[in-house]
Amino acid sequence: MWTSRREFVKGATASGIALSLSRLALAEEPGFAARETLPGRQAWNPAATGAGRIDGVAKVTGAKLYASDFRAADLPGWPANTSHAMLIRAADATHVYDGLDLSRLSGALKPVVVVTAADLARTGMRVPEFYAGDLLCPVGKTPLYLGQPVALLIFEDFDTFDQARLALRDEAVLKFGKETGPVKMPNYGAFRFTRVGGPTPDALDVYSPVKNGWVSPGRFEDSGRPIWARLPIPSGQDYAEAASYGEKIRAELAANNPALLVLDREFETQSVDPMFLEPESGLAWYDARRKNLELVVGVQSPYEAAESVAYLLGNAQAAFKPARINNNFAYCGGGFGGRDHTPFPLYVALAAVFFPNRPVRLANNRFEQFQLGIKRHAFKIRTRIGVDRATGKMVGFAADHALDGGGLANFSGQVATVGANAALGIYYVPKVDVTTYAFHSRGVTAGSMRGYGTLQTMTALEVLVDEICTALPLDPIEFRRRNALATGGRTMAGNPYIVSIRTPEILDKLEQHPIWKERAEQKARGQQAGFLVGTGIACATKDYGTGGDGTLASVELTPDGRITIHCDYVEMGTGIGTAVANRVAAHLGRVADQIAVAQVDTFGPLALVTSGDSYTMKQKTQDAAARNPRWVPAISTASTASIGAHVGTHAAAEAARIVFRFGLWPAALELWGIAPNDPKASEWKTARWKDGQLIMPGLPPLALPAVAAKAHARNGVTGAMAHAFNRWAWSQATFSLNGQAWTADIDALAVRRGSGKYVRVDRSNVKFPPTDFNRIGQSYTSGCGHVMRIEIDRATGALRIAKAYSVLECGQALVPEVVIGQAQGGFAMGVGYTLLETLPLYEDGPGNGKWNLGQYIVARGSDLPLHNLEIEVLPPVDENERPKGMAEVVMVPVVPALLNAIYDAIGHRFQSLPVTQKMIKGALK
Amino acid sequence: MTMLTVTINGRAYGPREVRDELSMNDFLREYLGMTGTKFGCGAAQCLSCAVIIDNPDGTSHTMPTCVVSAMNFNGKAIRTIEGHAKDGELSVLQKAFINHFAFQCGYCTPGFVNEGQVLLERLAKKPVARVDLEKTIAEALDGHLCRCTGYIKYHEAVRDVILADPGRYLSRD
Amino acid sequence: MRIKVLVALAALLTGTPTLDGVSEQSVNLATPESFASIADTAARSAAMFTELGKVLTHPRCVNCHPAGDHPHQGEQGRLHQPPVERGADGHGLPAMRCSSCHQQANFDPARIPGHPEWHLAPREMAWEGKTLGEICAQIKDPARNGGRSLEELVHHIGTDTLVGWAWAPGFGRLPAPGTQKQAGALVEAWVKAGAVCPN
Repeated sequence: MWTSRREFVKGATASGIALSLSRLALAEEPGFAARETLPGRQAWNPAATGAGRIDGVAKVTGAKLYASDFRAADLPGWPANTSHAMLIRAADATHVYDGLDLSRLSGALKPVVVVTAADLARTGMRVPEFYAGDLLCPVGKTPLYLGQPVALLIFEDFDTFDQARLALRDEAVLKFGKETGPVKMPNYGAFRFTRVGGPTPDALDVYSPVKNGWVSPGRFEDSGRPIWARLPIPSGQDYAEAASYGEKIRAELAANNPALLVLDREFETQSVDPMFLEPESGLAWYDARRKNLELVVGVQSPYEAAESVAYLLGNAQAAFKPARINNNFAYCGGGFGGRDHTPFPLYVALAAVFFPNRPVRLANNRFEQFQLGIKRHAFKIRTRIGVDRATGKMVGFAADHALDGGGLANFSGQVATVGANAALGIYYVPKVDVTTYAFHSRGVTAGSMRGYGTLQTMTALEVLVDEICTALPLDPIEFRRRNALATGGRTMAGNPYIVSIRTPEILDKLEQHPIWKERAEQKARGQQAGFLVGTGIACATKDYGTGGDGTLASVELTPDGRITIHCDYVEMGTGIGTAVANRVAAHLGRVADQIAVAQVDTFGPLALVTSGDSYTMKQKTQDAAARNPRWVPAISTASTASIGAHVGTHAAAEAARIVFRFGLWPAALELWGIAPNDPKASEWKTARWKDGQLIMPGLPPLALPAVAAKAHARNGVTGAMAHAFNRWAWSQATFSLNGQAWTADIDALAVRRGSGKYVRVDRSNVKFPPTDFNRIGQSYTSGCGHVMRIEIDRATGALRIAKAYSVLECGQALVPEVVIGQAQGGFAMGVGYTLLETLPLYEDGPGNGKWNLGQYIVARGSDLPLHNLEIEVLPPVDENERPKGMAEVVMVPVVPALLNAIYDAIGHRFQSLPVTQKMIKGALK
Repeated sequence: MTMLTVTINGRAYGPREVRDELSMNDFLREYLGMTGTKFGCGAAQCLSCAVIIDNPDGTSHTMPTCVVSAMNFNGKAIRTIEGHAKDGELSVLQKAFINHFAFQCGYCTPGFVNEGQVLLERLAKKPVARVDLEKTIAEALDGHLCRCTGYIKYHEAVRDVILADPGRYLSRD
Repeated sequence: MRIKVLVALAALLTGTPTLDGVSEQSVNLATPESFASIADTAARSAAMFTELGKVLTHPRCVNCHPAGDHPHQGEQGRLHQPPVERGADGHGLPAMRCSSCHQQANFDPARIPGHPEWHLAPREMAWEGKTLGEICAQIKDPARNGGRSLEELVHHIGTDTLVGWAWAPGFGRLPAPGTQKQAGALVEAWVKAGAVCPN
């Protein structure tokens, strides 16, 4: 049992609601936890032999798995019937909301409960800071954004709900009064990243964000737009210094220096929807007598959702405030960032507490998902690059980014900073000045969708690089070689990456690929055949991690050698369960038999506490807090930012190492008859697993069940539970186990001996990454290059992708098939983003509630070269290279490569997305 | 209100009174609790909700359930994703999808399993030339949206099932 | 009056790009009698066809009389999703038949149209991208109108129930102007006046 300590630590306003206390009891129907633990005791585990994913059987048989699959009747101990709720949303954000007209819902169609903003205020509901803004728009206010909910209607049963939603859909349910124009709000963040390198790449920086800190402008226009100019204001000296360097860089680019080629270009990207296939939904039941709230949702950020719901209800009137919340987090039908920090669970919880004792379901249909779901930011980008004509090297870079963040802040500030820090892509430039700001608008809220920020700014960059190569001229591969950031080189923040940089290999692969080598012949062939052929190339690097990632896992071994894993990471398609099983298998010799993902309630023995904000914390605060041996900077992070392989499997891998070292290894020694003081006893690193057997040179192989049984028999470590934290480096601590000091990249540990209970092990010498690391833009990155050939029909502008090739590196690929699958999926999403997908930002966009997949076109099989996409994964640099995140980077170069191919085919550069067939046809005229 | 009788995965349901406005998707998911049939768009554009209709003449085809009333299924026999495995033994296609790592989040998988199965049954009755195979698969699956996978492994899995039994699915020419 | 109607129609067609959710709004069709003031029979006939053109060029009609093999959808005539194809009989490819989704009648809760004979007009009856004069010449030509005589054409437009769907397209779709009966009357009057095509 685990209680959210954060609430207590945070002080006087603590709600004291206990989170996730009990698992549902197993009745005849398998409970939620049993259904979500895969593959399940009796079921075939395809992953055991590498023949599929751990969730394979569940997913091809239609097992109840997703939040949208569950009704009250499916859950043991719940009432039998499910009530249904609907959110009424405003499709107007320029007029005062005057109230609701539900006269259409008379008689039997009347909702049993109508929840409005007044009810939320009356009952003491609090909006978590992250979602600041009215959860329901109050009467008398102009909606903050298009699609803002105004009321929650609850209907007794599905029949009534079904009829009511039909009755309401063609009626003007909402009344609006006078026109106010859109609501003005402060922007969501403004930053300037300026770096002036020393005389050589190795020399100390003259100025950089890592050296001098991150700066924001202090002045804003009435519109909210930042004033980037260096103003002589006494309070802004930090900013003024950055601005001075920045303005100098810009002046040099503007100086008409004949030795420099300077290109100054604008690029615009569109708003798009993650369009995961399962619309958001949730089921909740508030048992008022027991004051227990049960919640079933599917999100990428379970820990955050649990905390936010607790905060929402934490100060509510007694009748609306649960004493306990049991969160059940389900498998997700896709995520792509759209389920990370979504406000949806808040509405599900509200539905339950306002209709106590009745399970209530709230589910978006697709129109509603378009209307309320988190979007990708539309960017406006202006870039100036100066290249020394003689050397072909980039010498100066300046860019300005503006992001439309939509109605709520969400991750707009972070997307802005990630986009800015990605602006140099794979390159090194000694002088850089990038400004960025994200602003509020009446559009639908934008958040951290796959490749966030990077996709937008690196696309603009790689298209511009292509243009530079044409203008210089210089071969695109050669240009990239000359300018690529080398291993150990500094990023624009001023720090080097701490992982392998493999741009040279990627460039070699691209250069040698037939698609690239045959580009001239293929163009000529097209000319003869009457269509236009173009070949495009692009290269990208993408950070993974957020600079404040907490991860939790436990690994347990039964006496017969079966393995159970619990982890906090969420399965949204990326194969985390299989990846974590494979990573653990490297240490324990067997693919896990049971894996439960999205867990927040099983790590009680660690008794973790946290406080403050790990991203903004001062070193002194961290040092003081760290004296509490249970304190960590962050407990659990959303499944986001490509951290699955790197962070999501890390705690499990470390736990497995401990189970091996202090459980299996001593047991093996005993079986081999090797005394603890024998020198061989310390050679555990030499041991290897092969076909379920522990192999040591010169000793008989031992089968896992035999070793596991012995470990249990001698009361050795048979289970380990660990927490780790990453701020661009792992936390590290020492633990005393079996009388030995064990130092590892974890900061909390509990172990189980034999079949006993978990016991926490005190840490010593804990080293959390210094808070200064928050100045780092990124330290983990993986690379991907892409080349593709397209054919364009002259008459119609129709574009066909003939052949494509992606080469990527991700360290050790935990599940190679899943890595390939991610790359294929990233390709499809990249093609859709480049050619098909777009959402108008305001009244004509999805906030109006009229958007579905008829207008919003995503890539289908017929849009893709299903048999002509080749993916190559570089082998790890060495066998110890850790897994690197790759699910985002694979999408990024596809977009500029396609744009560059279009230019190669038709000689026109489009400066905005998407590029539709109509636009290509227009350019051909 | 009308009386509905429908056979699902070999089992008869009804007669049961249903409203004319009730969609088959809601009938399956809200009334029968059979949520293997998904709801994706509600507009027949993603086909994650498609089920198999078994025609009296022995042929089969898919039909989305989100845009079709439950009453339209009166008297029909259908198969859903829950009905492919027999006595715990997965169908050849289900196994192929697993072995190929064809799906990721899995939400579109029921639609692909149903569509792929119908294609296999159609080809078993009317084989296709090897040279037309990729096109035939592409046409069959193109109505189904998947956001995770890029479709490739789905196509490869279906193709491999067919190529593994050419005598059954491929014509000689 | 007519000018107003045209303006209104134009506004509807070029207004917001998301008309799929609009409530039904009928646009009138002029009666044959209202053309009595045009003395010249040929001119009168052509004028009546021009009026009928409001129906023929309406998205409810053109969407399924496309150029090529793919139907269109919505008030903007965007490509049908999913991307269905005509197939051998105009009822779709073997894997995706029109009748898989389009049932015997509209199913309004899901905003989907239906009719027992839901299918694409034959390729030679394509109206998409054609001028009214071209459509007129085509509609009179038995080789390109399904082998119909002018009398049969009157019957087809005036009484065929699939054609009639255009005036009862269900929730979220604008019906074709006027009524099917009015359209039939216009065709009949146009034929009687010599079936003259506008320029």
